[in-house]
Amino acid sequence: MSNLKGKVKWLFGEIKEHWNTPAEGKYVPYKEYKDIWLAVGSNYSGSKTLEYVFFGAGCFLIMYHYKLPYVVFSAIALINMPLQKLWDILGWIINDNLGFMPKKTERKLYSVYFLSILIGVFLILFPFEPYLNPSNAVVAALNSIRGISAASAIKILGTHILWNGWAGARGIFWRKKLIPKFGRYKYFLYSDVIPKCIMVILIGWLPVYNIADEVTRVWVANLLFAIYCLYNFGNCLENCAQNISPNMQERILIRTYPIKLSHILNSIMVVVIPIAIGFTRDEWADINVFRYVIPIIFITFAAMTMIFSRRIKERIPQPPLEEKVQIKFWDGIFGVLRNKYKWVLTIVYLLDSLGNGMLAFTTVLYLYTFRLSGLAYGLIVSLVSFAGTPPDLCTPYFIKRFTYKQIMIFYQLTRAIGWSIVVATILLCGDNVTLCGIICLVVLILLEATHTIPTSVGHDMDIRINDYQMYLSGERLEAFSGIFGWITGPISAVVGLIIPILLLKFGFNSNWDVLFVDMSRVKIIVIPILFDICGFLLMTIPYFFWDYDSSKQNQVIQVLKRRAEVTEKKAEAEGESVAGSFTG
Amino acid sequence: MKKEKTKQAKTKAEVEEVVLDIPEDEIWTYQIEGLAPPKIGVSYADAKGKKAAFIIFISVAVCLSLFFSVRALLNTGDLEYKEIKSGEYELVQFSNNGLIKSFDVEYAAEIDNSKIDAGAMIAGGAENEEEINMDFLSYDKARPITTIHEYAFNCDSTLQVINIGAGVTDIDCKAFYSCWALQCIYVDEGNPNYCDVDGVLYNKDKTEIICYPIDHDKYLRKELGYTDLVDDNGNPMEELWGPTEKYDEGFFQQYNEDVRTYVIPSTVKKIGPLCFNYANIDTYYLPDGLKEIGTLAFFDCGNMHNIYSYIPAADGVSETRFKGREGLGGIYLSLPESLEIIGSDAFTKDRGLSYMYIPANVKQIGHHAFWDSVYKDKNDENGNNLRGITQMNIAASEEDFKTYEIGSSWRPKYDYLLFKKTIDTVYNAEREAIPD
Repeated sequence: MSNLKGKVKWLFGEIKEHWNTPAEGKYVPYKEYKDIWLAVGSNYSGSKTLEYVFFGAGCFLIMYHYKLPYVVFSAIALINMPLQKLWDILGWIINDNLGFMPKKTERKLYSVYFLSILIGVFLILFPFEPYLNPSNAVVAALNSIRGISAASAIKILGTHILWNGWAGARGIFWRKKLIPKFGRYKYFLYSDVIPKCIMVILIGWLPVYNIADEVTRVWVANLLFAIYCLYNFGNCLENCAQNISPNMQERILIRTYPIKLSHILNSIMVVVIPIAIGFTRDEWADINVFRYVIPIIFITFAAMTMIFSRRIKERIPQPPLEEKVQIKFWDGIFGVLRNKYKWVLTIVYLLDSLGNGMLAFTTVLYLYTFRLSGLAYGLIVSLVSFAGTPPDLCTPYFIKRFTYKQIMIFYQLTRAIGWSIVVATILLCGDNVTLCGIICLVVLILLEATHTIPTSVGHDMDIRINDYQMYLSGERLEAFSGIFGWITGPISAVVGLIIPILLLKFGFNSNWDVLFVDMSRVKIIVIPILFDICGFLLMTIPYFFWDYDSSKQNQVIQVLKRRAEVTEKKAEAEGESVAGSFTG
Repeated sequence: MKKEKTKQAKTKAEVEEVVLDIPEDEIWTYQIEGLAPPKIGVSYADAKGKKAAFIIFISVAVCLSLFFSVRALLNTGDLEYKEIKSGEYELVQFSNNGLIKSFDVEYAAEIDNSKIDAGAMIAGGAENEEEINMDFLSYDKARPITTIHEYAFNCDSTLQVINIGAGVTDIDCKAFYSCWALQCIYVDEGNPNYCDVDGVLYNKDKTEIICYPIDHDKYLRKELGYTDLVDDNGNPMEELWGPTEKYDEGFFQQYNEDVRTYVIPSTVKKIGPLCFNYANIDTYYLPDGLKEIGTLAFFDCGNMHNIYSYIPAADGVSETRFKGREGLGGIYLSLPESLEIIGSDAFTKDRGLSYMYIPANVKQIGHHAFWDSVYKDKNDENGNNLRGITQMNIAASEEDFKTYEIGSSWRPKYDYLLFKKTIDTVYNAEREAIPD
């Protein structure tokens, strides 16, 4: 008892002493822990609220109001796919140079983007219908897709070109303006938050879903959601906080305590939002959810995020922006391809795509098996999500006790076993809704409890890989890592279509009521989970090749610090700006 | 360069701390043991072979990606058939190009895109059926259809008429699920297993009603001359939802009896699964003799306000259009006395009903049979008054009823504080008389 009392006293003294200045060997004062808690909590809750609004079959706005055929989402992805490669390349160059490029390159990029905006607007506005021959093979193929016609496909392509031109030009402009001031992770909050709030309101209020013609409704909805997605409110402050210190132990501490505690705010919202929705007339199907509930909650969190975000600092050991390594296209490509650990994780993600396209099991379980709504729904969701919190508080211990390799292999095996139990339960006692539901719920809780530590480890793996990349190439090359998506794209595209097509065969189309049909619901849930289980088992294999341990990471950080130290000294000697520099 | 080990590792994961001493001129080239050397500011100008190989690889990857994705996607737009026995085919999936309003299920059909009229595809299809040249659809007589797969016509919003041939002997009850525009299913008279009564699908001896097309009321409006309805401003109106200045109560009642009233023939013993889901019917007359109401049989029939049962006269009732109560024999409120089984979700989302009586013969009720058929009227001036089925009247005693096969959550629940509350149940209930 006295031991515990002593520890508490020591902790209190430690916090008091290092409230404003960090302890030796550490970088983050405890005052910033408090700021991380509030800022990440607001940012995370705001971004989670936006998960109710997206252009996909699983969105309640799409499900109940737009009523778009399930297959159009795959079709639109396909229409956009070829040109996306071009935008990717341009985006990588801009992103990994943090917007700081030679003047000539910058002018060229601006020209491409402005031209794209013009082409995009033209493709959207010009009436192509009379000029398209329906007997042409491509036109006929496009016309045969439900919800799409050849003419609307051109408008969808126009939307894609317009979006990328607009996003690209904004990307260069705002990066140059804001990164020196706010760092690489959170700069976009300052340019995007106001338009994002406006779009969240417009999404609910513009009556696009009332357009009677399905084909027109699809392309107009695509345009509306594209503009909505142009403005980012991603969970950037958490990314920033995860990179907040070059000290590995401190990173884990911050991820385990202030970041994890910040998620409690969202856990409360997981209960509050369904209750608020329960007060609307038609609950999830009520348009007022998207007119009032989501906008009010989001705008509140957006405002809180902006208040607290300035107080979080980015501390990646890096040279001043003016002195940073210039990344050309081939430097970026070959740079990331040399990173062995990116290959390991790429193969893992590829195998994970085996489950792509499946419906969210919990949504089906809660809404169609249990028929939950209001507080009961909120309580179960938060019970399941809370199950991961207590084990997560022990993350530092697990990371000290086990290697990342061991933790990740264990994680995949638990998922395979857990989902196998779910499948067996549904097949063997699906008729008994209560028993089946309780077993599934217990498994979900156990899966969540074994999920959070590997998730923290996974995040740290990503950050370590970026540190290693910085050691290899002089920059983190986070954007150029997209090339791995190109390599795996053909496989994941095909694999990702397997489940939607199977679901179509089992009756799942634009009408979600099919999930009330017991036999169909079982097929719609079970078959995709079987694919997922295979994926989990296979995903253990690549982790056997992970040998990047803490000792190597420690040495990499030393190299990065040394580089920052030497370049900053040089810049100061030459009288140049040291903006963006951090030597640790 | 020197390394100094300051601590021995205790566990597999514990850091083995190594302090590096990196000279200033080696900051970009210093290699850590066990890791690849850094490559910074090194030109790739000479790596032409590598670049070419990379470009080829990526191009092939992207093309393959497109090819497989397009192929997979376009397969969803096919008419898909499967040979189930030698010379017998199953219609697995019908996919509409937005032009097909009438479709024959007798022989495997094929679409010839080259024969589609230019302009017909604009905005997803022409409104007037007569304007469309259907030559693009051809039927292969060498491939007869005998079976229709579940969800074969799923979620179609264009198709209005399906003609089923004499050889089709097996139709899954979910075959026509969510065909929003479907008005009639006609069956060839020579079919040994199925028939239709005025465009509604039955089994041959009419002991089971299988599918009432969702938009069948549109067909009835056309048949009975209700196509010129207008609202009070003179604008065309497809349906009549209540009396207006132009159409009084009497007209509305007649409209409901003509278009939105359905009499199930006296031969019917079973209402098939999903049979009336989404149907726009106000009043049903069920025969006393009906044994089973299938799962989801009346799912989401929000416009259903009345269920009556009738005791047919000796010569039975075969007419499905309502011609007055006189021809139906004795009539009483709610489900027929003969009923034994109510399937799961049978009356889910039927918020228009206000009275429900479970007869004494019912020994099996599926889960969620009356789910969401009660609600709080939030627009009511008197507060949140309950609407829909607010009380469950059961003929059996509580002791007897508990011995029956009853699914979970079978009774309706409504929002109560922050949770759901089940409506009241009255056992040993007497059936209410038909109100005047």
